[in-house]
Amino acid sequence: MTTATAEFNTQTTSDVPDELLPHKAGRKLWLPMLIMAIVGFGVGIVLGFVRADAVNSGDAETVAVLGQLVPGFMFIGFASVFAAIAFAVARILGVFREGGAGMQKMTGSEVRTLEMPATGRAFMVLMVIAMMTIVVAVVLHFIVGGAIAADNASAIDNAETWSIALEGARRFGVSLYLMSIALGLATIITVLRFQSLRVRELVASK
Amino acid sequence: MTVALDRITQPAADADHSVDFGHRKLGLGIGAVGLLIAAVVAVLAIVAAVQVGDAGQEDTIGRILAVAFGLNTVALATLKVGISVILIGILVRLWIRVQGIKTALPLLKAPIQGDAVIVGTVDTPYGTCEVSEKEPAVLPIHKIAKTLWAPMLGMGYMLVVIGFVVSLVWAGNVGSDPELAAGASAWTQGVQFLGEAMVLAGISFLLGSILRGLRQGGGDVQESIGVPVQTLQMPTTAKAFIGLMMAGMVLAIVQFVGYIITTGFDTAVDVATWFAWLGPLRELSLGLLLAGIVLALATIGNVLGFQFWRIRGIVTTGS
Repeated sequence: MTTATAEFNTQTTSDVPDELLPHKAGRKLWLPMLIMAIVGFGVGIVLGFVRADAVNSGDAETVAVLGQLVPGFMFIGFASVFAAIAFAVARILGVFREGGAGMQKMTGSEVRTLEMPATGRAFMVLMVIAMMTIVVAVVLHFIVGGAIAADNASAIDNAETWSIALEGARRFGVSLYLMSIALGLATIITVLRFQSLRVRELVASK
Repeated sequence: MTVALDRITQPAADADHSVDFGHRKLGLGIGAVGLLIAAVVAVLAIVAAVQVGDAGQEDTIGRILAVAFGLNTVALATLKVGISVILIGILVRLWIRVQGIKTALPLLKAPIQGDAVIVGTVDTPYGTCEVSEKEPAVLPIHKIAKTLWAPMLGMGYMLVVIGFVVSLVWAGNVGSDPELAAGASAWTQGVQFLGEAMVLAGISFLLGSILRGLRQGGGDVQESIGVPVQTLQMPTTAKAFIGLMMAGMVLAIVQFVGYIITTGFDTAVDVATWFAWLGPLRELSLGLLLAGIVLALATIGNVLGFQFWRIRGIVTTGS
């Protein structure tokens, strides 16, 4: 028999299915990531003001070192806050999954839950790539900053090249993060559509 | 205007629930365009980085970086517009969910057990909630969110595009007119980041509208089937969300004013000194807005958890 939800890939169980790992991670990690973001932004803005003072006083070495550290800390903030958003979206998806399954069980019906849609998988993959892109750029900023502080001639000569290249990587990482969040939110639409069809199925089966 | 916006976010009560309204595809399509622009910006950064150190290429590098800056902000704003379209889709789907549950619950719920409605407050696993006989009144912040999400998004994106045009002026004058280039650089950064902040505020207001939809829809469902209307009190995360959003917008305006002030400076050192702290400040403003968005999403997760808990209660006990 064709059902209203036949177009969706689902799994059928007699009980509420176990929480998926991404949903568990979302539930546990959104707040620590948010706290890390606030710390990153806080350190970044303080160092920004220190760097402005060094620019004004003509302290070229401090300017060059902080020129690497300020974006490094700021983008620890951005990587963390985007991760917090992604985890919060994953948590919402988890609430839908558990809540929808719980409701079906309460009505005495079989429990049908949506298999992870393609957008959900792409959301996670892109999020990991975005996070890695920004984290690698941040680590390289710190390495270059450390080398400049240690008077490494090559690092001093190539500081501008590194700054431009890493800025490009950071920017692209942020764009990937935004796309992954768009995919996560798109998955919520799919889940909502499935659930609105499923609830009518439940009524029809009564 | 408001009526037209309502139609965008709230479908008619008899809307076909089985139809795919296309927000998902449209939003992801706009996002993909943003990602493509971002890829172009990444290539520009590589081209500029490779030319550093080549004698006589300073102006070329300056021009490339000016265009890359303006274009990157357009890419990010475009991605955020894509996200906004998807959020509108979620809002539409939430209203359809309300209609579905309104239809289904009377047939799924158990016969009423226990006493009649007791008005007041009760503690739940998701926080304290108000119990009333009628759907709760709309909160002022929800009215603001409903009114402002579209203007914020529209004006914000417009500012980002205007900033991109100014970035072309900046690029066109690198080397030939350093004073004009410096002024255009300040205007580009100030205007584009004010625009980015407004786009993020638009997204925040859309999330506020989703919270309004959950509150109003939850009350509507409960009232329509004659059970006590339980509504969560505003959680701390929601209050902090509003605070962070306001702080982020204030800083966005401060950085904009700061960049405009630099256009009146006489020396390059003064400009460089201000740019050194304005850069992190503008990023902090976006960071605060994004932190607010995290808390809005956390609140939505909590409210949804409460609603499923409430539905299970109605199905089990009938009230």
